Amino acid sequence: MRLSIAAAVATFSSAILLHPLFEGGGWFWGSLGAVVAVLLASLISGRLSLPPWAALPVSVLALGLYLNVSFAAEEAWALFVPTTDSVLEVARLLATGWADIQRYAAPVPANEAITLLTTGGVGLIAIVVDLFATRLRKAALAGLPLLALVTVPATILTEPLSWPAFVIAALGFTALLLADGRERVGQWGRAVLVRRTRTTSAGPRPGATADTRGLSLSGKRIGFAAIAVAVTVPALLPAMEPVSFFTFGVGGSGSGRGNSISIPDPIANLKGRLELPEPRVVLTYANSDNTPRYLRIYALDTFDGDQFGMTQPEGAPENRTDNGPLPPPPGLGGGVQLNNVRTSITISDQITKLSFLPLPYPPRQIRVDGDWRADVSTLMVFSTRDEAAGLEYDVATSEPAPTARVLDSSPTTRQGIDERYLALPDDLPQEITDLALDETRGARTPYQAAVRLQRFFTDTGGFAYSLRTQGHSSSALVDFLVRSRAGYCEQFAASMAVLARVVGIPSRVAIGYTGGTQIGGRWTVGTNDSHAWPELYFEGVGWLPFEPTPAGTLGQGSARVPEYTQPRPEATADPSSPTPDETTGGDSEQEAGPQNRQNPRELDREALLADGGLPPEESTPLAARIGIGAAAVLLVLLIPAAIRLVTRSRRIRTLGWKMSRPADEVTAKVVAGRHPAVAAAWAELDDALYDYGMAREPSETPRRLARRLTEQYEFPAEAAAAVTTIASAVERVLYAREPGEIPPLGGELRTVRKALAATVSRARRARAVLLPPSTMRRLRRLGEGVLDGFDRLENIRLRRTAAQKGA
Amino acid sequence: MAVTHDVPDQLGELVTTAHRIREAIESVIEGKGDAVRLTLTVLLAEGHLLIEDVPGVGKTMLAKALARSIDCPVRRVQFTPDLLPSDITGVSAYNQQTREFEFKPGPVFANIVVGDEINRASPKTQSALLECMEERQVTVDGRTYQLDAPFMVIATQNPIEMEGTYPLPEAQRDRFTARVAMGYPEPTAELEMLDVHGGTSPLDRLKPVATTSEVRALIEAVRGVYVSQPVKKYAIDLVVATRHSPDLRLGASPRSTLQLVRAARAHAALSGRDYVIPDDLQELAVPVLAHRLLPSVEAQGQRRLPEQVVTELLRRVPVPETRAS
Repeated sequence: MRLSIAAAVATFSSAILLHPLFEGGGWFWGSLGAVVAVLLASLISGRLSLPPWAALPVSVLALGLYLNVSFAAEEAWALFVPTTDSVLEVARLLATGWADIQRYAAPVPANEAITLLTTGGVGLIAIVVDLFATRLRKAALAGLPLLALVTVPATILTEPLSWPAFVIAALGFTALLLADGRERVGQWGRAVLVRRTRTTSAGPRPGATADTRGLSLSGKRIGFAAIAVAVTVPALLPAMEPVSFFTFGVGGSGSGRGNSISIPDPIANLKGRLELPEPRVVLTYANSDNTPRYLRIYALDTFDGDQFGMTQPEGAPENRTDNGPLPPPPGLGGGVQLNNVRTSITISDQITKLSFLPLPYPPRQIRVDGDWRADVSTLMVFSTRDEAAGLEYDVATSEPAPTARVLDSSPTTRQGIDERYLALPDDLPQEITDLALDETRGARTPYQAAVRLQRFFTDTGGFAYSLRTQGHSSSALVDFLVRSRAGYCEQFAASMAVLARVVGIPSRVAIGYTGGTQIGGRWTVGTNDSHAWPELYFEGVGWLPFEPTPAGTLGQGSARVPEYTQPRPEATADPSSPTPDETTGGDSEQEAGPQNRQNPRELDREALLADGGLPPEESTPLAARIGIGAAAVLLVLLIPAAIRLVTRSRRIRTLGWKMSRPADEVTAKVVAGRHPAVAAAWAELDDALYDYGMAREPSETPRRLARRLTEQYEFPAEAAAAVTTIASAVERVLYAREPGEIPPLGGELRTVRKALAATVSRARRARAVLLPPSTMRRLRRLGEGVLDGFDRLENIRLRRTAAQKGA
Repeated sequence: MAVTHDVPDQLGELVTTAHRIREAIESVIEGKGDAVRLTLTVLLAEGHLLIEDVPGVGKTMLAKALARSIDCPVRRVQFTPDLLPSDITGVSAYNQQTREFEFKPGPVFANIVVGDEINRASPKTQSALLECMEERQVTVDGRTYQLDAPFMVIATQNPIEMEGTYPLPEAQRDRFTARVAMGYPEPTAELEMLDVHGGTSPLDRLKPVATTSEVRALIEAVRGVYVSQPVKKYAIDLVVATRHSPDLRLGASPRSTLQLVRAARAHAALSGRDYVIPDDLQELAVPVLAHRLLPSVEAQGQRRLPEQVVTELLRRVPVPETRAS
């Protein structure tokens, strides 16, 4: 009975550690219910004296019934008898919960499905703990399932577990062990406990009697000490970065609080930034070919007729930047020359609320601190819990540099591209459709159409750059395209994207920064470099940025028109469709795109390594980690040696102190026994003896010690004289009326040390230096002091209980 | 042991005098340096000595030699079952010429009183002597007579198991500062003894080497020996340890603490030190404490003597030290 309850308490107190994983308290009550259900089952099977093999099904049955009643009562018969429907409902909820947990980042909302999953999990742990503790009578083993439970928050959360919760969990387990111990000892009758006494004390203390009060005193003492050590020692050790083993996913239809990212209104931000009177530095970067590149933050893919918006990005756990190369860029096929560029970017720490990384497109691998994940379709990289402010990161990109010929040959049939990139509202004004078709008339390929559209904005259309323009509704779009033809990057980008969709080219609007200006070897990007530009999709090449916004002093200062959008005259003049030979195998520089392979992810890695992606030192290799760990352990092990060295050097310094002869008797009395140099020499000799395993007996007087050393270890005359001098000095300082002249003892101490060292083995000498027993003894005494403190506390408690009982 | 600081003049004198006395005694008793030293220690500590051993090992000889080497009155009392208290203290006898009672001092009126086989006398007589030992005075017929200083009783005693003895009760044993066992001499010492004692008694040749006033000065010097606080505490620790030892039915009395420290002073002075060190206490603990202790039934069953118990306690009780400055 007691054991069953203790097992339930232990399970539930460990389950409390789960609290940072959830929002809301539904899981708490659910878990409590599951634990109670298992407890009841355990009590029943205990009462019926069921064998262990039978107790397990009873507990599982109880848990199943409980889950059924709590989560599928409506489908159940008479609210609790499981039916097929109710079981299916529970299974469905379980699946939903599993999917939710994959999707959300902690803390997850404690919805019904997740609560069910948690409740079931805690219930299963409770069953196993109960089985171990109550049925198999192996309470210590029950710690394993509890440990598994505790591991869940420890691995998922990057923050450390809250220590009060840990203490509760540890106390729960201690209580289980105690209960087990009591049960075990109880079978032998009443126990008599003898209190710990110091072995060095002179006999039993007056009035001390055998203490029979606390049956569980020793256990509690050890338990409390262990918990205290577990809580305090990690605080003293250098922290290791936790590595998450499995994590919750991100995204979905979250409430927008904590578990999902908040999507800013990029367009509203954009104008504000461009209009700042004094531009501020947003980031600086340097790249391997020292060429400015657009840094994209957001990709807006949906157009509702008024403006472009962003689909909630999805960051699956496997697409964390820590996990190596990012997903392959969509649509990039073979036959396209790739420029491999490495860029290291430093974000200003003034930037707030930026949870997307500005990156050149397409990023292939990123080395960045924190939990950053890539959205598969847009390759936006974002985090649900970290911010970009102050971040420094490296990114490797494989930028497609297609020739006009390659683009021209891009097939019009598209696979793997979402229809949302082509979606247009039904009520799109006819003027816009007409305009798009007019401007692209004569273009034989989507690429040519795109080039013509861009030229329409930058050249033939007579557009002007102006920040004064307002609005982005469809009427504003018509205004911009047909009437005013004046606007800034946002209008240009959105308009071109819309026109591209009209003519059947998948498009989206990218928001980010232009390449900025070069200042002292680094490219500096400020708020005035904020920019929007369209990205158009070509099968086999992927997404390519276009630049419809006028550049230069009259336009967006640092905007640059991509090379592939300015085809050489002969390219446009001769748009004959190229042969397959030319596209696939023509250029030796061209390489096979990753999508032609069976396992793109794996091959990406190879390609990156071959292409000089991010160097491998980025993630610390296992050997280095082991090395660092070993070094840390070694450092910890060397702490006693260091303490010993510090103590000794302090004492040797003290040895040099001169004590003048006290002038009067009163001073002499005060000074007697307080001669620091002699005290230091004596303490040092004492420690040295202990280190070499020839410890001084507590009852050994200085004189007797000197005699023993001289005789037992056959000291040479010099050493014998030295140890005698020390002993005599100590004797006089401690016991004489006035110590008289004390000669400096440093030399004697050295002689004695040497003589002592000569008598012991090499291993012993090494141990005296590396793991000095004297320091260990001191630490042990410290520990004993702490234990005594616990004893005293326990005594107070016992006395109070006794008083209450007496009253 | 090298003592680097100056020995006070008084102590130097003490050491030489004590040395002379020791040499004198040892010329009579061979190979009993420890017993001789202890005897001198007790003398200088103003205590009394109980010599306990089987007959014929030189108990009386030691007492006599000490007495002889100091130029002072020495009386010897052979304790027998029919000895009366007045045989010790003296009697008031009626003087017919002066028509007055006049006190005839007993043998106790001497500087050194040798009580031979004290456990053969009746308890009443024993207690009469013991009263003199503690009070250093004799009261007869309402008059009190002070005893001369120095006053030292050297009592010899046969082991308890011998026939015809009245063992000293523990209260009376407590009055003796120290007990010493002579032990059989070493074979070489015994051989030498045969040579020396073959002709005449060496006692006859012994000439006094110190005067009473000299001894009194020595005793005075011993009183000035410094006992530091930690050493006092150590003495108390030792005595208290005997009271709590499970092997002992009766521990040492507070009087024994006093006598232990006093003896330690003398011991230190004999070593030429003007301060007591724990070694003094350790050396004296067995002779000063053991005869006062009663072993518990368990210890008796294990045939553990109080001496062994005290030796164990000495190993357990930590010496006092002030570690850090």
